Amino acid sequence: MTPISGGERAFNAANIAFFILLMALMIYPFWYMVMASVSDPDLTASGGLFLLPAGFSSTAYQAVFQNVSILSGFKVTIITTAAGTLIGTFFSAGMAYAVSKKRLRGGKFFSLLILFTMLFSGGLVPSYLLVKMLGLIDSYGAFILPGAIGAWNIFVMISFFRGIPDELEEAAKIDGANDLTVFFRIVLPLSKPVLATVGLFIAVGYWNDFFSSVLYATEKDMWQLQMVLKDLISNTSQAISQAGISVAVQQQVNPFTVKMASILVSSAPILAVYPFLQKHFVKGALIGSVKG
Amino acid sequence: MAVTKPEVLAGERKRAARGTLLKDIARDRYLYLLLLPGLLLVLVFKYMPMYGVVIAFQEYNIYKGISGSEWVGFDQFTRLFHSPDFGEILGNTIIISLYKLAASFTLPIILALLLNELRSKLFKRFAQSVVYLPHFISWVIFSGILITFLNPVDGLLNMIIQRFGGMPVDFLGDVRYFRSVLVISDVYKEVGWGTIIYLAAIAGVNADLYEAARIDGASKLKQTWHVTLPAIRPVILILLILSLANILEAGFQQIFLLYSPLVYDVADIIDTYVYRVGIQEANYSYATAAGLFKSAVAMALILSVNAIVKKSGQEGLW
Repeated sequence: MTPISGGERAFNAANIAFFILLMALMIYPFWYMVMASVSDPDLTASGGLFLLPAGFSSTAYQAVFQNVSILSGFKVTIITTAAGTLIGTFFSAGMAYAVSKKRLRGGKFFSLLILFTMLFSGGLVPSYLLVKMLGLIDSYGAFILPGAIGAWNIFVMISFFRGIPDELEEAAKIDGANDLTVFFRIVLPLSKPVLATVGLFIAVGYWNDFFSSVLYATEKDMWQLQMVLKDLISNTSQAISQAGISVAVQQQVNPFTVKMASILVSSAPILAVYPFLQKHFVKGALIGSVKG
Repeated sequence: MAVTKPEVLAGERKRAARGTLLKDIARDRYLYLLLLPGLLLVLVFKYMPMYGVVIAFQEYNIYKGISGSEWVGFDQFTRLFHSPDFGEILGNTIIISLYKLAASFTLPIILALLLNELRSKLFKRFAQSVVYLPHFISWVIFSGILITFLNPVDGLLNMIIQRFGGMPVDFLGDVRYFRSVLVISDVYKEVGWGTIIYLAAIAGVNADLYEAARIDGASKLKQTWHVTLPAIRPVILILLILSLANILEAGFQQIFLLYSPLVYDVADIIDTYVYRVGIQEANYSYATAAGLFKSAVAMALILSVNAIVKKSGQEGLW
């Protein structure tokens, strides 16, 4: 190592200071919401939260967990995310595995068929009319099926499957396995990293989706969580009065603190899993870019 | 005999080829089975809507369907191009897109270079985690945060402005500020995530090059300028080209969640227009024409960009 010059030391210090500031800027909105959500509703009404909560109260969270629209939103989103991630990941994997085999007749055609969906799309109105025509309005199918298969995910998986040595498959075939058993018993277990990566991206997509509700949900009890939140953010007092909150809580509820608590509760699942899965997210972004 | 022989052979070859084709299909039947469910979803939910764009050439009536509706040729497009809305939404789409491009193309490169200079591994990893995080938070939640912070009555930012003696500003309802809010919030959310590819590219730069530069007495800044940046230039180029090809994507969800009639003049883009006119006002054919205009231009852009990249001797996008 060459000795570090004074200028370089100054730069390093400034760089660290810059990142501390940047991180503070990124974390502050979340901290602000934590403060607001646990503060005493009467004290926040006067405004002026800055670094520390004012008093303490859990009424905002009680209101959130008693709110029937939020609970129903959680239900819809959890079902959509679970089913969608399962369908999306496994159907994509099946497609990608078949197309990854160079011997497959028509493989080239199928991969072009998938590629073309990246270049051109029918657009919003024809997709909406199709879902309507299929009778999927106000059903989970409308939230799950249209977005389950993404071309990007398939190409990421194809490049992964092509990296699995053919010898494994051949050996299994000699032992009497067919393509299905090879896929389920050998390929899928070997593909956990790519399945996790693609599955996570699909899951985040479903979790954060609100627009499917805008388009395809006419009944409020079919709203996804993000749609409930969107409604709550734009007109808090109304959304609260509609929900079945106990009178005791309702009397001391402050729409603002409830709003903050709902936002935190609904992003909690992502915030909770994110640190453990960050590695996979990054890997996914990289495989995608290398492929691109 | 000598004349017919090649024909017989060709026939036999054809029959043999058909035989092996069928045999191959039979051999790979389970592969086709694995392909099938995904393929069905793609055909139904991607290709059916592509067929559905034909209603852009009709006066679509939802009760008569595609087969029963009247064909009107390019009338919807003529109406669209002559509408005063068209110039506005196309202009807004491109302007917002270009603003975002200017910011979200350069800042991740700078941030990646700075991240790369952090000496402490642990601090670097922590900083990365924090700046990636906003990418995974939904736009619904982000719009909630923005609406709260920018509220003209009791939003934090306006309280700070007032404390310093300024007048409160309606950031989301004022045509002068709305686009800045879009660009800044987009950068805030995506700048960290944008560094990932650059960081990987920087990590791949040959360490000998830095060593040689150091021996020649190059400062850190000069090393960055003469070694790092040239080394990651191909990645920068590819990403720039990709974002230019996506110029008609101005960020539908973000704008949809933040805009209001107050700022339509500066914020209404093709996608939001298609939603309002097509879904809310049920002008199906007209809105489909607007959407088809966008998809067609986008496809032409990406195809020509890919052709140019390939012609210039670089590896194309596919």
